[in-house]
Amino acid sequence: MSKPTEFLIAELVDDLQPVGALKMSRGLLVSAGAAVLTMLVVALLFGIRPDIIAGNLHPVFLLATGLFAMLGIAASVTVIVMSRPQVGNDHGGWVWAAAMAGLLPFTALIMGLVKGPVALEQSSISHGLDCLVVGAGLGLIVGTALTLWLRRGAPTSAANAGLLTGIAAGSFGIFAFSFHCQYNDIYHIGLWHSLVVIIAATVGRLIVPSLIRW
Amino acid sequence: MIADDITMARLMVMSQRGDRKAYSTLLLECQKWLRRYYSRRIVPHHLDDLVQDTLLSLHKKLASYDPARPFLPWLAAIARYRWVDHLRMVYKADEVEFDEGFAADNPEPAIAARISIERMFAYLPPAQAKAIELVKIEGLSVTEAAVACGQSESLIKVNIHRGLRKLTAMIEKA
Repeated sequence: MSKPTEFLIAELVDDLQPVGALKMSRGLLVSAGAAVLTMLVVALLFGIRPDIIAGNLHPVFLLATGLFAMLGIAASVTVIVMSRPQVGNDHGGWVWAAAMAGLLPFTALIMGLVKGPVALEQSSISHGLDCLVVGAGLGLIVGTALTLWLRRGAPTSAANAGLLTGIAAGSFGIFAFSFHCQYNDIYHIGLWHSLVVIIAATVGRLIVPSLIRW
Repeated sequence: MIADDITMARLMVMSQRGDRKAYSTLLLECQKWLRRYYSRRIVPHHLDDLVQDTLLSLHKKLASYDPARPFLPWLAAIARYRWVDHLRMVYKADEVEFDEGFAADNPEPAIAARISIERMFAYLPPAQAKAIELVKIEGLSVTEAAVACGQSESLIKVNIHRGLRKLTAMIEKA
């Protein structure tokens, strides 16, 4: 062993402090806690839809929020897995959840092509922009929590970790805001709600890697 | 003789709790393991730097090891990440003598083969692997590598760029 390596090891040993291991269960708690906080912010700042409080749930609402929740969970779990590197890890499971959530904009596109401009009129642009801005803003809660988690971990692909952090943030952001947004039509959800995830994923891909590289 | 996975995992758990004696032993074992792991995949006079960089990363990222999982695949992921990072740095080697291979002399050959650097290379297209091998590992210039493998200089550069991108994506997968 060379002298510099010997000195380095001695310094590292001197510098050792007890650390808590990044456990999967703790990562899931952090992610779930951030998602619950996002829901609380929606309930307190914007209010929950009256039909949900009355228990009259619309099927499109259930399907769409379910798909966004599944995508958010799949992306978060992958981010947590990525924070604890290991040769042999698989980071591809989230793709299936993304493909399923992709059915929302795909359906909106097909229906829009069939119905023409009428479809776009059904989807209020101003309310759509509200969903876009607020949904993306709400995503900051989960996005920040996952980024801080990744900074403690050792993700070997900063670009993918950033992308998935953005997807999780956008999915949970729009999932939570769906409990306020009163629109049940597939055009509004397929266009504006999906756009939140796409924009959050792009922002995550561009910004998060520089914050988590090691 | 390098300690096995179970011993190193036990030392790591003690290190995470702040046991300096265990940590010192662990770092010495990791240092030996890394030297063998990187052999043939880095020119000898860069080996010390790369081993030290990896030990430093291990120290900074101690928390990312989960005691419920095997130790060596974790260490290999850290080592591969630092190695790919090292390959990105351009350098010109003036000696090309390599030590014995990692998998050839390892107490756990199955694990060694699974987490070796060679395994990552096997997933690269031959032209990309060759370009990286000649320029980034053996230290040839782009012009020399172009002559050696009959590719144009621009193709060598493209192959290196694409190959390194693929290696980054394969750090944990392959």
